[in-house]
Amino acid sequence: MNIKLESATVYDPINKISNLKKDIYISDGKIVNRLEIKGKINKVINCRGKIVMPGAIDMHTHIGGGKVNIARMMLGEFHNEESLDSDSTAIMAPTTIKTGIKYIKMGYTSCFEPALLPINARQAHSEMADIPFIDKGGYALLGNDDFFLELLKKNASQSAINDYVAFTLHATQCIGIKVVNPGGINAFKFNQRALDVDEKSNFYDVTPRDIIKKLTRAIYELGVPHPLHVHCSNLGIPGNFLSTIETIKAAESLPIHLTHIQFQSYGNNGDKRFSSAAPEISNYLNKTKNLTCDVGQIMFGQTVTMSGDSMSQYKNHKHAHPNKWMCMDIECDAGCGVVPFKYDNKSFVNALQWAIGLEIFLLAKDPWKVFLTTDHPNGAPFTSYPHLIKLLMNRSFRNEMFLQLPKEAQEHSILKSIKREYTLDEICIMTRSAPARILGLKNKGSLGYGCDADITIYDKKRKDYEDFFANPAIVMKNGEIIVMNGKIKKYTWGKTQTIKPEYDKSIEKSLKKFFEKYHTMKLENYKISNDEMENLIGSEIIVNKCNGKRK
Amino acid sequence: MKSTNKRFITCPFCSLHCDDIEVEINSNKIKVLSEPIKNCTKKIEYFNISDKSNLKPFYKNKSLNYREAIIKSRTLLDKSQDITIVNHGTDVNGVRSILNFATHHNCTVDHINSKYLFKNLGIVQRKGYMATSLTEARNRCDVFLLFGKSILKKSPRLIDKVIFPEQSLCVKPKEKKLILIGEFDKKTIDTLAKNYSVRNIKIKINEIPQLMELIQSKSIGKNDNIKAISNIISESKYLVASWSSSDLDVYENADDVISSISDFILMRNKENRAACMPISGSLADATSSQTMTWLTGYPSRVKFDGSKFIHDRNICDSEFIIENNHTDIVMHISTVGLEKIKLNKKVKNIVIGHPNTTYSSKPDIFIPVGIPGIDHKSILFRTDNVVSLSLDKIRCMNLPSVKNIINDLLMVQD
Repeated sequence: MNIKLESATVYDPINKISNLKKDIYISDGKIVNRLEIKGKINKVINCRGKIVMPGAIDMHTHIGGGKVNIARMMLGEFHNEESLDSDSTAIMAPTTIKTGIKYIKMGYTSCFEPALLPINARQAHSEMADIPFIDKGGYALLGNDDFFLELLKKNASQSAINDYVAFTLHATQCIGIKVVNPGGINAFKFNQRALDVDEKSNFYDVTPRDIIKKLTRAIYELGVPHPLHVHCSNLGIPGNFLSTIETIKAAESLPIHLTHIQFQSYGNNGDKRFSSAAPEISNYLNKTKNLTCDVGQIMFGQTVTMSGDSMSQYKNHKHAHPNKWMCMDIECDAGCGVVPFKYDNKSFVNALQWAIGLEIFLLAKDPWKVFLTTDHPNGAPFTSYPHLIKLLMNRSFRNEMFLQLPKEAQEHSILKSIKREYTLDEICIMTRSAPARILGLKNKGSLGYGCDADITIYDKKRKDYEDFFANPAIVMKNGEIIVMNGKIKKYTWGKTQTIKPEYDKSIEKSLKKFFEKYHTMKLENYKISNDEMENLIGSEIIVNKCNGKRK
Repeated sequence: MKSTNKRFITCPFCSLHCDDIEVEINSNKIKVLSEPIKNCTKKIEYFNISDKSNLKPFYKNKSLNYREAIIKSRTLLDKSQDITIVNHGTDVNGVRSILNFATHHNCTVDHINSKYLFKNLGIVQRKGYMATSLTEARNRCDVFLLFGKSILKKSPRLIDKVIFPEQSLCVKPKEKKLILIGEFDKKTIDTLAKNYSVRNIKIKINEIPQLMELIQSKSIGKNDNIKAISNIISESKYLVASWSSSDLDVYENADDVISSISDFILMRNKENRAACMPISGSLADATSSQTMTWLTGYPSRVKFDGSKFIHDRNICDSEFIIENNHTDIVMHISTVGLEKIKLNKKVKNIVIGHPNTTYSSKPDIFIPVGIPGIDHKSILFRTDNVVSLSLDKIRCMNLPSVKNIINDLLMVQD
């Protein structure tokens, strides 16, 4: 099948193309040079008056795994199957089918689950395999598992740590590694209620700094493209920007990605002892080469928070709305906490959180280093992205919203003074090109020759940016038209993005012993094979390239 | 596959899904070799094929080949106005295919153990809840509270796998304590007490809420046993409470009983660590509820209607529907069950069951199905709802999976 997108206005930052009128050719699901097409063009799509971008990539969205299912089960009263417009659960914790439909209709073609517990990987992949249309992937959680902490306690070599990290990526079929509240989830199991960056856990005598240092190095040395994905210590605590900066320093200049950094950018100034530290954090981001982040913007309204950070979620349960919640300790592996929450624009704290997120977006100079996320659904459901983009692109709209916040919150924020408006190019970078690059997805986020024809076509007639980004005219996945004028034309199933760095398999001997001594299942049952992914779980895998071993 | 071999398998027949069961397979006959756990795993041998096994489909006493059975079933189903599907246990792909069929044929879907599931789920849907999983309990729990009466008969391997393992990361096995609360029989208590530190509070199940309140208030009075147990609990660092909700469903106050245990655990967490770990039923209950939830948003009891569906615990209660003839055809799906399937003779019945399935009366159509983890590869969820295991195929009886049968039912053309 050969397709021509004729006279498109193209945005393709990876190939340094911005607002350029050109034709794009697609053959057998790939973007190709006109000269490579054999046979005739089967279909011409008139793209005059249309803007064409690569399919969007959500690099941090909780779309699969045990915690998402807990939220679905917990929030039954928000379901409304009779009227999808008032089905709030379908927005906060949608079923797999609705997740796929809502993402593809917004022009998103790849999404990544950022908190995939290794022990729960089979479930997370099974769920994600049932999400139609999009490609997906996961970041495996490490840094709170007892095996890893024992390695650290015993002063294991960096190469042993590297082997364990690589083994985990293979066994869980993931594309990256995440650490959540380094060591904190484990410490909570021993009844520690807080763990600062240089505080030792009582049982393992290990600090979050030790964990960050070892894991960032492991990922760097293994050549995994995506840097360690870090949910820092002290999430949500006033004054936590200092521990955020210490976490960055713990990486010792190696690449590190801080996730939902909005929740980590709080000062404790003012009479309410809660203030914005966005300028400090943005300043650090701008000057630190090895650092990237996603924002985790909050939006006002009902949502549900779900996190591996059981230590902080247990604290947060007091704010549950409605008043119900669940926390769980999981398999000497990690933990989870699910707490429904309503962000209220009349609340000083919530209003300031909203402003802090936007301040970070707008103060960060390089759109290649900051990614557009709401930490779905923790800050807000992913369906709010078009609204968020409008806030970034339209200063007068942003200020209008800002003026609706409580006066005292306004006084604590510099948001109104920031003149910057994001350009289409910058939005395209932060939602397509940059996530593809940081995840090592060579065939995504680009309209270059050989790339997958995951393409979103927007209508220039939609002048309001929220309307523009919420309603693409056409969305293509692998060269097939999936969405046309808001209607699903075809059901397809995406693949799972993985990475498989080389490692010394002798690490499995000690893991096997550990499992036999302490676990309730065998190591063999922990690993997910490629065959199982395809034939039982139901998703083909794509193995992405490593950067090669580094020292 | 070799005609004779020894190997470890993952047991598909209870919610613990132990994967350390050694079996010998000789000409498709499975013999359990694992001695210490024989009491539990002998169940596997029940599923061996014998003269009484139904390996061929039938329709009204007449044998059919597989294709004929599929066509007959589809014909019956097409005539129906109201199909009810009762899941008596199948794997993830089985549940996926049931839901796929249900969307095409507007069926009501229920799991036979839903009423017990909802009792546990009720807490999560109403209030706070602290949970843990098997490995966590094994390695961190110093005091284990077990409520009910027959939970250890249903899941005997809780003892060696979780409560008193040979090795544990954070607690010396000898320091672990078990407290039985409820109507446990003397033999169970005495047997355990020979080897382990076990204490018992014998009370009726419906008295558990008052007991929990008493222990919490610490105004115990003169009961030395309860006082001693209360002290053990007070000193615990990681307390785990376990129950099977069917075990507690005796005096119609199971919800209150479970709620009182959970509330007690929540209180403990204010200063120490404690967690609940309910043990689910043995008919792949957790597999059904997890898969149903990610596909529909509801753990069970869903009625499909075109592109929409409703969830109603009463309207979609299969027991109520069948007893009151609110359906004209029931499709029972059973791949791991031992118990007799209750059929209503006033409606049509299709049973997709393993070859040793028994029923209260003969169904209209029977189609033999493979057992997950025995006849085909599969995924099943463990009781803690967080671990799922991949099960292998260990014998070659050419029995189709639920997924195969349902897909054929969808695809078949007369």
